[in-house]
Amino acid sequence: MNFSNEELLDMYSDIVKSRVLGEKIVEYIFSGKIAGAIHPCLGQEAVSAGILTAFKKSDIITYGTETHRAQTVMAHRVGWKPFIAELLGRTGGCNDGISGEYHIHDLKNGQLPAAGALGGTWAEIAGFAWALKNDGKKRQIGFAPYGDGAISQGATYEAMNIAALFKLPILFFIENNGIAMSTPVENQSPLENLADRAAAFNMKGVTVDGDDPVAVAEAVLNGMELAANNEPNVVEVKTMRWEGHYVGDPQKYRDLSYKEDLVSICPVVRFEKRLKALGILDDEIIKAVRASQTKEIVEGFDEGLSQNVATKEQVLDYNRVYSNNAGGEL
Amino acid sequence: MSEMSVMKALNLAMFEEMAADEKVICMGEDLGKQGGCWGTFTGLQEKFGENRVLEFPILEAGYTLFSVGAALGGYRPIVEFMFADFVTLGFEGIVDIAAKIRFNSGGVDSCPVTFVLPQGGGGKSGAHHSQSVEAWFANVPGLKIVAPTTPADVRAYYRAAIRDDDPTLFIYQRATMGLTEEVPDELDEVPSLQKAGKIVKTGADLTVVAYHRALVNVKAAAAQVEEETGKTIEIIDPRVLIPFDKEIVFDSVKKTGRLMVAHEAPERGGFGAQILSWVVENCMKELKAAPVRVSGVNSIIPFGDLEKYLYPSVEDMKAGILKALK
Repeated sequence: MNFSNEELLDMYSDIVKSRVLGEKIVEYIFSGKIAGAIHPCLGQEAVSAGILTAFKKSDIITYGTETHRAQTVMAHRVGWKPFIAELLGRTGGCNDGISGEYHIHDLKNGQLPAAGALGGTWAEIAGFAWALKNDGKKRQIGFAPYGDGAISQGATYEAMNIAALFKLPILFFIENNGIAMSTPVENQSPLENLADRAAAFNMKGVTVDGDDPVAVAEAVLNGMELAANNEPNVVEVKTMRWEGHYVGDPQKYRDLSYKEDLVSICPVVRFEKRLKALGILDDEIIKAVRASQTKEIVEGFDEGLSQNVATKEQVLDYNRVYSNNAGGEL
Repeated sequence: MSEMSVMKALNLAMFEEMAADEKVICMGEDLGKQGGCWGTFTGLQEKFGENRVLEFPILEAGYTLFSVGAALGGYRPIVEFMFADFVTLGFEGIVDIAAKIRFNSGGVDSCPVTFVLPQGGGGKSGAHHSQSVEAWFANVPGLKIVAPTTPADVRAYYRAAIRDDDPTLFIYQRATMGLTEEVPDELDEVPSLQKAGKIVKTGADLTVVAYHRALVNVKAAAAQVEEETGKTIEIIDPRVLIPFDKEIVFDSVKKTGRLMVAHEAPERGGFGAQILSWVVENCMKELKAAPVRVSGVNSIIPFGDLEKYLYPSVEDMKAGILKALK
């Protein structure tokens, strides 16, 4: 698949945006401005950049959730400012800062409800994909991502079984960063490639380099086309988590020698080299992209932090819990 | 009017709602040619097609979650669990996902799924096939619980549950599936889930709140006690547990000064404890005696006829009524 120079530079812009967002999340957590255990995307930026490129390039509309480390994709769906405000627990968030980033839900923007316990959203998205298909909505699909950890959950097998049986328009996407909280992938699955699980349901499954945004974009675009033709399938991308499970996690469970030379494994640096070799990127553009992405994200954080947090009345609003008919009493 | 069983009422309600709204769909196991494990789905797939009556493999967790996705896609799913006990596998989809859809969307989206749970004893089916599950869910904000008993009420409140925009558990009892009564051919109006309590019979000396087979047994016991003592007993069928019609119960207790609550679920943490708490909090001045609970034993349900040792019988109800009248 060919990407124009313009698309490649946009992809570069997204990979940098993911990096800056990850760095800012770490910074704001350490300065006490973000509550909760947020999982930054550092090391996995190529995954989000590849997904976003596919979403922008294709005419296929996706409805889905994201892995917690694909925050750039979440932000793309719900809007950067509403995303950052939700992350900060402020009223400008897509749910007034009340549900929080990891329970994000914004259907009008294609963001299906996230779930705390992992595994279930694959089946939830399959139900939504069924509705799309049953309504005859062409070139609209479910996009169902999970990490290597979540797909050991039984519900993911049930979802793949249902999708294959009903021939649903859905792409199952596995962001394999090699570790689920503290448990390495080799302690979770006997398989070399997790996409091989697709074979059990007579579905196609591919595994690609998740640190190459072009490879991710190509695989996602192919998977989206298959899904749009009612051929559910699995795309696995292999990447590496740099941070702990949460910011500040000392990672006592892991050999941390990779940290001595992050440049050699950095997906951003690798992509920069590639684009430089193509003659479409130089140090000046690199500086400019970083500056503009940093500016947008910092402005988002500043604006979010200037907003209020929800009031008790907003949180305990009966209409936020029930649609009707419950007697007006929580 | 025609003579109708609970089983037939369930079937009729689905025919009516599927005809009224093309977005109503059914999902569960063996719903096609078999018509559901209990026959309650008989004829629905034939009439409305495979895209509206979805027969699933055995994957309760999967199709519970699927139903939420379909609801977000604009559908109004009815989701059957063959036995209410099997809802353990659907817990995440109901408790964590369906119940939180409205909240996590900022009050924008609704989740109009009806989870159908045939529960309790009567089938002599033992530990994994006879439990009463209403209290498992009563502690989860965001859900509604509908639990009618008689054929006419089952038909009306099943339709109300399907029409409700929130995730609703529709719980009926297997032991009373064969209960029959005259049911109107047309339902004038689908009722509201609010203020759904019904005074089954009026009385002056004791208020009894009961549902499902406990209600049937209470009626029989109350008739005996009234004949033997000359006292009169007011019986209330709440029909809907959440939102609970507190007023009808408070008004009755303020009149009688006495309360008994009865259900088949185990006593500990049961919904009866909740009703009793509300009454004590609101009617303490009028209460002449300590309220009484009659419920299932806090134990595991054995197989076969032995199940009778777990569930409250007519005699147990009678003992409870006499105690409450003291």
